[in-house]
Amino acid sequence: MKDTTLNPFNITKAVDFSDQEINDYWVDISSGDGFTGLAKPTSPMPMLILGGKGSGKTHLMRYFSYPLQCIRHTQDVLAGIKHDKYIGVYLRCSSLNSLRFREKGQREEMWEEVFAYYMELWLSQLMLSTVLSAVGGTSELADREADVVAELAALIHLRQRPSPTSLSGLNALLRELQQELDGAVNNSAITRTLPVHIAITRGDLVFGIPRAIEASLRSLRGCLFLYLIDEFENLSEVQQKYVNTLLRDRKSPCSFKIGARMYGIRTLSTYSTDEENKEGSEFEVLRLDAILRENKKYEEFAKRLIAKRLAEFNRAQSVPTTLDANAKSLGECFEEPPKSDFSASETAYVIDKYHGRERPYFKNLRQRLERGLKWNVTPGLRQPADIEKVLQLLQCPKFPLLEKANIFFFYQDWRSKHNLLEASRKIGDECDQYVHGTSKGSRHKEGLLHWKADLLAQLYRDTDQPQRYVGLSTFVEISSGLPRILLIVLKHIFAWATFNGEKPFQGSPISMRSQQTGVSEASEWFYRDARMIGREGQLVMDGINRLGTLFRGIRFSDKPAECSCSSFSIDVSRSSETTRRVLDLAEKWSLLIDVGGQPDRNTERIDRKYQLNRMLAPRWDLSIYRRGALALKPEELNAVFDPDHVEEFDKLSEERVARMSAPFFGHVPRALGDMSGDLGLYAEQDHD
Amino acid sequence: MIDYTVLYKGELPVDGDWPLEARWDIFVSAFTAAERVRRVYEKAPAASKHWIVFPEYGFAKEEYPAAAFASLARDEAEYVKSFWDSAIGDIAGRTLGIDITGFIRPYLIFLLRWLAECGVRRFDALYTEPVIYEKREQTRFSDEIVLEVRQIAGFEGTHNPDTSNDYLIIGAGYDHQLIAQVAENKEFSKKIQVFGLPSLRADMYQENVLRAYRAEEAVGRHTTDESSSYFAPANDPFVTASTLREIVSRLDARKPITNLYLSPLATKPQVLGFAVYYLTERRNTATSLIFPFCEAYNPETSTGISRILKYTVELPSM
Repeated sequence: MKDTTLNPFNITKAVDFSDQEINDYWVDISSGDGFTGLAKPTSPMPMLILGGKGSGKTHLMRYFSYPLQCIRHTQDVLAGIKHDKYIGVYLRCSSLNSLRFREKGQREEMWEEVFAYYMELWLSQLMLSTVLSAVGGTSELADREADVVAELAALIHLRQRPSPTSLSGLNALLRELQQELDGAVNNSAITRTLPVHIAITRGDLVFGIPRAIEASLRSLRGCLFLYLIDEFENLSEVQQKYVNTLLRDRKSPCSFKIGARMYGIRTLSTYSTDEENKEGSEFEVLRLDAILRENKKYEEFAKRLIAKRLAEFNRAQSVPTTLDANAKSLGECFEEPPKSDFSASETAYVIDKYHGRERPYFKNLRQRLERGLKWNVTPGLRQPADIEKVLQLLQCPKFPLLEKANIFFFYQDWRSKHNLLEASRKIGDECDQYVHGTSKGSRHKEGLLHWKADLLAQLYRDTDQPQRYVGLSTFVEISSGLPRILLIVLKHIFAWATFNGEKPFQGSPISMRSQQTGVSEASEWFYRDARMIGREGQLVMDGINRLGTLFRGIRFSDKPAECSCSSFSIDVSRSSETTRRVLDLAEKWSLLIDVGGQPDRNTERIDRKYQLNRMLAPRWDLSIYRRGALALKPEELNAVFDPDHVEEFDKLSEERVARMSAPFFGHVPRALGDMSGDLGLYAEQDHD
Repeated sequence: MIDYTVLYKGELPVDGDWPLEARWDIFVSAFTAAERVRRVYEKAPAASKHWIVFPEYGFAKEEYPAAAFASLARDEAEYVKSFWDSAIGDIAGRTLGIDITGFIRPYLIFLLRWLAECGVRRFDALYTEPVIYEKREQTRFSDEIVLEVRQIAGFEGTHNPDTSNDYLIIGAGYDHQLIAQVAENKEFSKKIQVFGLPSLRADMYQENVLRAYRAEEAVGRHTTDESSSYFAPANDPFVTASTLREIVSRLDARKPITNLYLSPLATKPQVLGFAVYYLTERRNTATSLIFPFCEAYNPETSTGISRILKYTVELPSM
């Protein structure tokens, strides 16, 4: 029985799938030649398949492995392989337990040799097992086996051992050599000695087995023998160097696909006089999540992925329909706020909730105006009655969103030191015209085009409502090219919908309440799960926390400088070395997404631009969409990511946010200087 | 095949004198700030007593007890070997008592292998149960900064390139981050969790499960139809070893296990059970004990002494 009985999205990792399920749940992307076109399994050029956690590397690599080829070609596996033109041998580096090949009183060079030998034995066994499974028992092999074995046995320094007479005997010999080596490596922790006899020269069997088989067996002639080496990040630098050398010295008919997390490539160096492999020359790179993220067909792919899950889940009872038809109608399965002019439906609750009392955003504005009046920073306002007048002019009771827009424009004018009474009158008039459709190019139309999402977010916050991350398109956007993220979000939403008594994907759409809770839970999981292994993990997470706090402070300030603030641009070269390192790690761990370059407003310089992973947006109530990017100064970035500068963070971020906060907009009267602490990130918010 | 459950398990008085069989030539204990560790050390009757101080607890030199062994080596094999060579030496003919309460797990596990290598066939292990963990289910035993997940020295098996039916059995403790990290490290293995039940105290099982649930996404759900949760008493290494044998036999009978990983993250008695099971039955097979090695551990997580348990552990010859 499948463990998807209760929730079709329960399984979110390819490793939890059986080979059959990898095949059953396979969904291709509909651009070009799909994933096969991207991964090029028949290409002799080695490839690094890089991607964040959950980008689908393992699913992809397993899809090209021999067990999956068997499933796809049940009728005649050999003919299928011949048709595919490759045979895939899959290896997980974590199964090598590679950390034991170090220290224990031995020199590093010794471990380099020992590990290379171990890997040779390991890869060779996998290759032989695969070949035996494919051609074992055939008359073709029976005819040629003795010659092939003799050729391969000649590559092994057998010493006193009898020469194997069959491929399975050869495999048993390799297993025996491996066990002998395991014993020596493991005991060295106790004995501090490492008595090892290396019986095979590097690469001899890794390349020799495919060469001998391909040359001898017609059924596999012309096939590429493809080593699919996954979880490469599990190997140390010197261990990767050995694999890099295999890539560099690759011999036909072999090739390699190396799967690794973004941070997983520790070196491109090889043992060939320490030369580095070069992209385009010794290997090519497939950056899986970046490709998916930027692919116009990603949304379609994501929907097909969901539809496939649902089809498998409902296999027994569903009426057969095409995957594409199901995928297209998926959007209707999620409740979304009804479309209405000026978001009236979405914000109607404000009218009821604050019936007979002042709405919280006006209360906040009143406090700021009173404070400003006291310090004489309210141009055009002279007495408390003027404040009442301003508040009255900015009201638009039927449309709370427009009231938020009015206040936002008012803060803009205030910061520009306009006469506030006149400004509020003008804003009120323009609002009336906008509501009645008589002012097509108004400030409101333009402003809402850019700021609507932020103003709604502020409105929800002002009125103690959770932020709304709802609708399928939102979830696809949140996943940022990482299909596993999408599945995890849906898993949580499905679980909450079921808990709330709903029947997800069966009739009524999933409520916004279930969607919000599910997304929020998934975001918390992502945050917890993102913690990296090692000492620097905490540094990265602390930096990300500070960045999220800064973005939140800006988004919920009176007059945010950037809309949908979840990205920043920076001249990385001017930041500290630690900052650069932590920033690099944050990117490699997919906590930050590199979204290209951005010209600096004041110079010709092109700055790097990063977006906080969208999955983290709900944690700080941020936008998942990217519009404006906050231009950070190097000292600000250092304060975010460098532990030697973090004590400056509060001050710098408060200064930033203070520039966007009434009544002083960063120009605190000298007499108030000592009290400026309450002007910062957490400027007073009056909540019910 | 050894029947672990007939091995001796008894209780020593918290306040009164200890019986004659609870006296040793050598007594070893790991220094922590916990009352339960210090009181037992003071009380234990032995010709020669040894404190050892682990670097992960972060004690300053001036906090070390007199004549304690300390080393900055974080390699469990190097540390234990160095302690043994400098403080114990030849143990032939001498009785040994070890208070496992304050031991950091990988050191304790390697120590068992080391003892077996030194020809020790029997020793007494003491474990003192706390009255309560200070922050209940929020208790953090480690700083949760995992430096690496790897095999424990002396418990590294000879593994199999075929990974089609690998299993990871986790002794699930309070540190959910550690569970998550170890599960991530052997992501492809099917996961089994062994919970401490009966727990040390009645409420600890609930706390344990609450914490372990937080690692749910990393542990994952599997397409097998067997239950992925088992139970063994939190304070009984011998039943723990028997439970492991039972789990492994059952899984193996269904389909031969290709590689087996054991990760003891729960109570020290359970850790002892995992190590004894490995040494007795899984040496030189495709089985390893793996552990998420942390930067630091909290030297004080509990209050009070509830019971002092004594286990007589038998080790196989190497």
